[in-house]
Amino acid sequence: MTAKLLELNALTKKFGGIFAVYDLSFHVEEGESLGLIGPNGSGKTTTFNLIMSELKQDEGNIFFEGKEISRYPTHERVKMGISRTYQIPRPFGEMSVTKNIRIGLMPDEILSVMRMNSASKREREIGNSVGFKEHHLQALPNELSMGDLRRLELARTIATNPKLLLLDEVFAGLTTGEITELSELLKKKKKEGLTFVIVSHDLKSLAPLVDRVVVVSFGQRIAEGSFEQVIADEKVKEAYLGK
Amino acid sequence: MKKSLSWWLLFTVLMSSMPLLISTRSLRIFIFANFIAIFAMSWDILSGYTGYISFGHPFLIGIAGYTSAILSHQYATPLYISMPLAILLTMVAGSLFFFPALRTRGTYFALVTLAFMEVTYHLVQVVRPDVTGGSRGLTGLPLLVTGAVQNYYVSLFAMLLIGMGLWALARSGLGTVLSAIRMDEDAVKSAGLNTSKFKLFAFTLSALVAGIGGVLFTHYLGSISPRGMFDINFLFTILIAALIGGEHSIVGPILGAYFLTFLLEFSRPYIPGSWRYLCYGMIALIVYMYAPRGLFTIVTAVENRIRGKNLKGEEYDSQAA
Repeated sequence: MTAKLLELNALTKKFGGIFAVYDLSFHVEEGESLGLIGPNGSGKTTTFNLIMSELKQDEGNIFFEGKEISRYPTHERVKMGISRTYQIPRPFGEMSVTKNIRIGLMPDEILSVMRMNSASKREREIGNSVGFKEHHLQALPNELSMGDLRRLELARTIATNPKLLLLDEVFAGLTTGEITELSELLKKKKKEGLTFVIVSHDLKSLAPLVDRVVVVSFGQRIAEGSFEQVIADEKVKEAYLGK
Repeated sequence: MKKSLSWWLLFTVLMSSMPLLISTRSLRIFIFANFIAIFAMSWDILSGYTGYISFGHPFLIGIAGYTSAILSHQYATPLYISMPLAILLTMVAGSLFFFPALRTRGTYFALVTLAFMEVTYHLVQVVRPDVTGGSRGLTGLPLLVTGAVQNYYVSLFAMLLIGMGLWALARSGLGTVLSAIRMDEDAVKSAGLNTSKFKLFAFTLSALVAGIGGVLFTHYLGSISPRGMFDINFLFTILIAALIGGEHSIVGPILGAYFLTFLLEFSRPYIPGSWRYLCYGMIALIVYMYAPRGLFTIVTAVENRIRGKNLKGEEYDSQAA
């Protein structure tokens, strides 16, 4: 039996009187890639924010490698091996691609950070591994296409050396060509043993990437299973299309 | 790197020879400019880099100045003890007071820090005026050195050492992290860095520099008063020096401090009183319109134009960060 890398147990988050996430439980196994899908506003990104401690849950527990991590702040969770990308890419706008990656590589230690003042081979390797061409490595984020910005997000998270990657809407705003490239890249990373949770509205691109899918609607889990199983599910159809 | 070091060397040589070239009266203007440069750099390493805009730097400078002034004047403590103690207290007290404020962001942080300055302005007048000198402050403080030339060298070398130290730190990974905090603090946390730790460090460093500047300035003037120290004009002189010179560059605040001081001093015979502040406000606006990132960018742009270079990526980084 494979070990549970991440486990959410009865997670609840309320914004005012509205439940963004309600009694949500699911787990991710090591080496697995899990799709997290649901209509707009169903609480997918909120779930990511809870896992990363960017928001605090009102109730429930989060376990990573069997350890309850609710009281750990974001940076501690990243150090434990969880990392995320953002739905809208958030590059450091005045810094080149390599320097953006450098931030991900930096140790959380002031003296060591002071010694990191020049480009390292590792930055370049990570940049190349997500498909950046040599001339792009020195570019500023405002010179990059949406596809490249998503690559940069991915590179910066990979730089933190994660065990679990949370990918938020990785395919949004990309051309078909870019989607194919990114999918190939994710498949490769999966083969290398990385575990993913992928949020996406682009179900067609998501299907070949995921082993299992969890469907949420109004913050609650309404279905779980293989991709084929969940899209055939009546409740899922209803959530997406209405009655 | 080498190029920048030779600039520092050239600047050091030029500034060191200044007492041979100009009158004592003008030298006093340079001394003032050096102190403003120290304060503006202190502001820059915290606010310019991390984007946490402090309106409370006179509070820090004041703690240092008042501590050393009280110890040396009221308790006859020698300067070599009172000054380091004052700097230490600035770092400790400053961190204690400011750290909770670092939980707020943007305008709120600026206002909280401004409140510190205002509160201290009133406190030093009300609490134990027999010790603080009340609203008149303290005069006749012991001087560190006497004479314009000696004071010039003290202020110059303090400014140069602080400048080079901060500049080196800002160009290291530390500057990169602090700049990243300004651009997107949550994204820095998501990269696994404890931003609170880095902000506290930047703040303590800023307090250290403000403390050094504060004690030297106080024992140069030989007097200290609440109106002179916790004054909104003093705050704006520091702020505008940093902004007009070019924030998050360390070198910019030095440029800005000199530019502003000269503007204020040399216009003194021609433009009366508060009109001068209006003029410098207008000049600051004009600089902003054409060079939003300060004089520093104009200087580097001219330098690069001369060298026929086109800034890109990493080079842009190293100048920006």
